[in-house]
Amino acid sequence: MQSSNAINYDYTVAKYFTVATIVLGIVGMSVGVIIAFQLAFPELNNLAGEYGNFGRLRPLHTDAVAFGFTVSGIMATWYYIGQRVLKVSMAESKFLMFIGKLQFWLYIVTVAAVVVSLIMGITTSKEYAEFEWPIDIAIVVVWVLWGISIFGLIGIRREKVLYISIWYYIATFLGIAMLYLFNNMEVPTYFVAGVGKWYHSVSMYAGSNDAMVQWWYGHNAVAFAFTVPIIAMIYYFLPKESGQPVFSYKLSLLSFWGLMFVYLWAGGHHLLYSTVPDWVQTMGSIFSVVLILPSWGSAINMLLTMKGEWGQLKENPLVKFYVLASTFYMLSTLEGPIQAIKSVNALAHFTDWIPGHVHDGTLGWVGFMIIGALFHMAPRMFKKEIFSKKLIESQFWLQTTGIVLYFSSMWIAGITQGMMWRATDQYGNLTYSFIDTVEVLHPYWTLRAVGGLFYLIGVFMWAYNMYKTATSSRAIEKEPQYASPMA
Amino acid sequence: MFHWLEKNPFFFAVGVFVVIAYAGIVTVVPDFMESARPLKGVKPYTTLQLAGRQIYIENDCNACHSQLIRPFKSETDRYGKYSLSGEYAYDRPFLWGSRRIGPDLHRVGNYRTTDWNENHMLDPESVVPGSIMPKYGFMFDKSMDFDTAYAEAYTVKKVFNVPYDKPGMPKLGTYEEAKKAAIKEAGAIVADMKDQAVKDAYKKGDIKEIVAIIAYLNSLK
Amino acid sequence: MNWLNDNVNLLTLIGAAAIVILTVVIVGKYIKQMKTDKSTGELSGNKWDGIEEYKNPLPMGWSLAFIGVIVWGLWYWLAGYPLGTFSQLGQYNEEVSNYTKRFESKWANPDKDTLMGMGEGVFLVKCAPCHGITGDGMNGKARDLTTWGTEDHIVDVVLKGSSGQGYPLGQMPAGMLDKASATAVAAYIVQDLAKTGKSKHPELVEQGKALYATCGACHGNDGKGNGGSAPALADYGKAQFIVDVLNHGKKGSIGNMLKFNDGRLTDIQKTAVGTYVNSLNKE
Ligand code: HEC
Ligand code: HEC
Ligand code: HEC
Ligand code: HEM
Ligand code: HEM
Ligand SMILES: [Ca+2]
Ligand SMILES: [Ca+2]
Ligand SMILES: [Cu+2]
Repeated sequence: MQSSNAINYDYTVAKYFTVATIVLGIVGMSVGVIIAFQLAFPELNNLAGEYGNFGRLRPLHTDAVAFGFTVSGIMATWYYIGQRVLKVSMAESKFLMFIGKLQFWLYIVTVAAVVVSLIMGITTSKEYAEFEWPIDIAIVVVWVLWGISIFGLIGIRREKVLYISIWYYIATFLGIAMLYLFNNMEVPTYFVAGVGKWYHSVSMYAGSNDAMVQWWYGHNAVAFAFTVPIIAMIYYFLPKESGQPVFSYKLSLLSFWGLMFVYLWAGGHHLLYSTVPDWVQTMGSIFSVVLILPSWGSAINMLLTMKGEWGQLKENPLVKFYVLASTFYMLSTLEGPIQAIKSVNALAHFTDWIPGHVHDGTLGWVGFMIIGALFHMAPRMFKKEIFSKKLIESQFWLQTTGIVLYFSSMWIAGITQGMMWRATDQYGNLTYSFIDTVEVLHPYWTLRAVGGLFYLIGVFMWAYNMYKTATSSRAIEKEPQYASPMA
Repeated sequence: MFHWLEKNPFFFAVGVFVVIAYAGIVTVVPDFMESARPLKGVKPYTTLQLAGRQIYIENDCNACHSQLIRPFKSETDRYGKYSLSGEYAYDRPFLWGSRRIGPDLHRVGNYRTTDWNENHMLDPESVVPGSIMPKYGFMFDKSMDFDTAYAEAYTVKKVFNVPYDKPGMPKLGTYEEAKKAAIKEAGAIVADMKDQAVKDAYKKGDIKEIVAIIAYLNSLK
Repeated sequence: MNWLNDNVNLLTLIGAAAIVILTVVIVGKYIKQMKTDKSTGELSGNKWDGIEEYKNPLPMGWSLAFIGVIVWGLWYWLAGYPLGTFSQLGQYNEEVSNYTKRFESKWANPDKDTLMGMGEGVFLVKCAPCHGITGDGMNGKARDLTTWGTEDHIVDVVLKGSSGQGYPLGQMPAGMLDKASATAVAAYIVQDLAKTGKSKHPELVEQGKALYATCGACHGNDGKGNGGSAPALADYGKAQFIVDVLNHGKKGSIGNMLKFNDGRLTDIQKTAVGTYVNSLNKE
C-alpha cells in the first residue's frame, strides 16, 4: 500500500495561495456585484468619481476573478495536488520551496499593481490582457517561476507515471505562456520618443491583425485558465473525495488530446461577421462545434465515475459541488458551440447572452470547482475537521440559486436585446431606438445583480467556514483516505 | 505511445506544445500581411485625436461600446456602412469591443456632433432620458496628456512606418509643431462648445480631456 | 410579432432550447446511473495518492456523437459555408437586394398615412436623440420642431437671419424687413407661394406678395431657390424642404445638425420623416 502518510507533504505555499484565492475571490466578485448593480441603477457609477464607474471597474472584475481568484486557485491546488500525485514533498527541496514562496510574493505584488493600475485607468484595453508592459514583465517572471516549480517537482518525483491532473497542469503552463507572450507584444513609447508617460505602450499589431491575435489569445485564455486547470482539479478531487476509480482511462486520454488539438482553432468564433477573413471565421465555427465532444468527454468521465454512488451525492456536499460543476461545464460547453454557429452568433454577439454564457461557466464550473477543491484541502492542510457541513449545504443551495438567476435572466435579456436590435416595423424601418433596447433590460439586470449577490454571500460563507476550519475546528489525528471529515 | 509520453514529461510537454502551437500558426499567420492594409483615404490619427483615443481606452469605453459594424441590414441602417478591414489599419490596439451595452461607435462622427457630445458626456440623461451611461464630468476638469499622444504618434511613425508627414497625410513634425497643430485643431472644437470653463482654459493654452475625446469621436466616420 | 419570421431569431431560440434540453436529458441519464448502476471494470493498476482508474471502453453515445459532429463539420465546411467561395459581404448584398425588392416596390407610391407612419418610426430612431421624442428640441439643445416651419418661424428667420446650411449664397442677413412686413411676407409664402394652407393673416397676402421681391433676389421670384443658391421657399412647409435640410445639414446658432447622406436613410424615408416633422406643428 503506497500510503500517502509516509511522506510529509509541506503545504506552506498551498496555504498562502488558499488565502489569496479567498481574498481575491471576495474582491473580484464584490466588484462583479457592484458593476451588475451599476447597470441596473446607473447612479451608482458616480460614487467614486472617475475611479468608480462601470468602465473602470469592469476590467477590474474580470482580471480579479481570472488572474486573481482563478489563478490563485490553480496555484493552491497545484502546490497541493502536485506533491501528492508525484509522491514527493516540497520539504525535500529547499530550492523548490524558495521558488514557491518567491512566486507567491511576486504574484501578490503584481496583483496589487494590477488593481491600482486598472482603477487609475492604466490599461491597454485588450480584454484579459489589459496590463501595461511593466506588469507583463512581472507576470512572465511569476509564470517562469511556476514552470520551474512544476518541472522541478516532476524532476524529483517518485511516481513514474504522470497522473491526468499533471497533464492538465503542464498544458496550462505551456498554453498561457505561449498565448500571453504573443498577445502582449507592445512597444513602450517613452523609450522611443522620450516624452510622455513612462509606462505607456502601443500594440505591435494593428486593426484586424490585432483582433486576430487578441481573440486567439482571449479564447484560449478561457481554455487554459477556465477549463484546462479546472479539469486538472476535478480529475483529482472527485475521485479522491468519493473514493471511486476514474471511469475510463481511454476517455481521459482522448478527451485530453482532443481538447488540446481542437481548442486552439476555435478562437475565430469571437470574430464572426467581423473583418477578418471568412475562412478563419468558418474554421472557428466548425472547431467550436467539434469541441463539444472532448469537453463533454471529461465531464462524462467524471459523472460516470460516480456511477452507483447516489448515496454520496446526497450525503457529501463536496461531491455535490463537483457533480454540479461538471453539469455546468457541460451546459456552457454546449452553449458556447451553439453560440459559435454563424447565424446564432449574428444574434447573440454583443448581447447579454454572452455574459450569461460566461457566468454559467465561471460561476458554475470554475467557481464551484475551486470552492469545492479548497474545502477538500482544508482538513488535510490544517489537520482539522471542516467547521460546518450545514453551512456548506446552505452555501451550495444559495449559490446554485444565484447561478440560475444569473444565467436565466441573461439569456432572456440577451435574446430580447438581439431581437430588438434587428426588429423592423411594417415599413422596414428599425422599430426601436437604441435606448429602448437598454430600458427593457432593467428588470433582468436587477435580477442578475441579485443572483450575483446570492453567489457573493455564498463566497463569504465559504470564507468564514474556511477561516473557522483553520482556526477553531476540531483536530483530526489521522488524515482520512477519502471523504473529508466535517462537523 | 501515450503511455510512454506519460512517463517522459519532457516529451509530453513538447507534444502538447506542438499540438497547441500549430493551430495558431495556420489560422493567424497567412492573412497577417494581407488583410490589414490601409484603405485608400484612411489616415493616421492626429495627435489630438490620438489623445482622445487614449482617453477612450483609459476609461474603457469599449467595455460598453463596439466599433465594428457587421454586414447586416439592421446594423447598416442603424450605424451606417459596414466596417472594412482596411479602415482599422492605424488602430493600435483595435477597439472592436465584444459588448454593446451602448451603441456601436464606429461611425458615430457621422450622426453626432460636438455640441451633442458635450451635453451627452456631461450628463447623458440630459439628451437621452433613461440612459445608463456614466457621467464623464471629470473630463471637463482634467487636462489632456499631449505628451503621451505625441510619443505614441512618434513611435508608430518610427517603428511601424505609419505615414505621418507623407504627402496627403497628417503632419506630425517636431514636438513643438505637433503641439501647435493640436492647439489649432482643438480651437475649432472649443468654438462649437458651450462650456465656459473649457473655453477659458483653452485661452490659457490648457486643453481639457473633453475636447480631445470629442475630436476622437468626431473622427469616427 | 414579426420576430419569428426572421430565420436568425428562430434559429437562435431553437438553439437556446436545445442547450437546455440536451444538457438536462443527458445529465439526467447519468444521474440515473448514479442511482441505479454499479461501477465495474478492470483497473489499470496505477494508483496515485489512492486514486485508481478503470480501463473501460469509450461510451458508445459519446463516440458516435464525436463522429457525428465531424461529419457535420465537413458539411459546414464544404456546403454550408464553403471555404473559399462563401462571402459574408455577398450574403449582405443578397439580404439588401431582397429587402429592396420587397419594400421599395411596396412603398413606391406611399399615401399620406404610410408616410406619417413610416416617418414617425424614422424620427423616433434617428432624430429623437437630438430633437427629443416630441420634437421639442430638449430645452434648446436642438431646433424645436414643434414651432419650426410655421408662419411665425418665417418671421423669426427674417428678423434673425439664418446660416449654416452651406448654400452658395451663404448667410441670410438679419433684419431685412421689420416685423410687420415680415408677417405679410410670411402670409404670402404660406398661402400663395408654397400653398400649404390658409394664412393666419389672409388680409396681408397681397401686401406680402409685393414685399417678397426682397426675398426673391436670393430665393428666386418663383421661390424655387434660384437654381440651388438658397432654399426653395416654394417648398416651405412641405416634406421636400426638410429633405433639403437633411441633405444639407445645418450649423447654426443653436448647434450642429449633420447631413443625412451616409446611406442610412432612403429617399422614401426622408420624404416620410419630412412629412412627419411637418405635422409636428399643429397650426
Ligand atoms: C455603462 C456603459 C457605458 C460606458 C462605460 C460608456 N457608455 Fe457611451 N453609451 C452607453 C449607453 C447605454 C448609450 C446609449 C444611451 C445614450 O445615448 O446615452 C451610450 C451612448 C453613447 C454615445 C452616443 C452614440 C449614439 O449613437 O447615440 C456616445 C458618443 C458614447 N456613448 C460615447 C462614450 C464614450 C466616449 C465613453 C467613454 C468615455 C462611453 N460612451 C462610456 C453606455 C456606456
Ligand atoms: C441675401 C440673400 C437672401 C435674401 C435676400 C433672403 N434670403 Fe432667405 N435664405 C438665404 C439663405 C442663403 C438661406 C439658407 C441659410 C442657411 O444656411 O440656413 C435662407 C434661408 C431662408 C429660410 C429657411 C430657414 C430655415 O429654417 O431653414 C427662410 C424661411 C427664408 N430664408 C426666408 C426668407 C425671406 C422671407 C426673405 C425675404 C424677406 C429672405 N429669406 C431673403 C438667403 C437669403
Ligand atoms: C446630432 C443631432 C441631430 C440629429 C440626429 C438631428 N438633428 Fe435636426 N437639428 C439639430 C440641431 C442642433 C439643429 C439646429 C441647427 C441650428 O439652427 O443651429 C437642427 C435643426 C433641424 C431642422 C431645422 C433646420 C433649419 O433649417 O432651421 C430640421 C427640419 C431638422 N433638424 C430635422 C431633423 C430630422 C428630420 C432629423 C432626423 C432624420 C434630425 N433633424 C436629426 C440636431 C440634430
Ligand atoms: C466548447 C467550449 C466553448 C465554446 C465553443 C465557446 C464558445 C464561445 C462563444 C461563441 C463565445 C461568444 C463570442 C462572442 O460572440 O462574443 C464565447 C464567449 C466566452 N466564453 Fe465560451 N465557449 C466554450 C466554453 C466556455 C467555458 C467553459 C468558459 C468558462 C468557464 C467560457 C468562457 C467564455 C468567456 C469568458 C467568453 C467571453 C469572451 C469575451 O470577452 O467576449 N467558454 N464562448
Ligand atoms: C458574484 C459573482 C459575479 C457577478 C455578480 C459578476 C458580474 C459580472 C458583470 C456585471 C459583468 C459584465 C457583464 C456585461 O458586460 O454586461 C461580468 C463580466 C465578466 N465576469 Fe463576472 N461576475 C461574477 C463572478 C465572476 C467569476 C467568478 C468569474 C470568473 C471566474 C467571472 C468572470 C467574468 C468575465 C470573464 C466577464 C467578461 C465577460 C465578457 O466580456 O463577455 N465573473 N461579471
Ligand atoms: Ca500588455
Ligand atoms: Ca467581452
Ligand atoms: Cu472562445
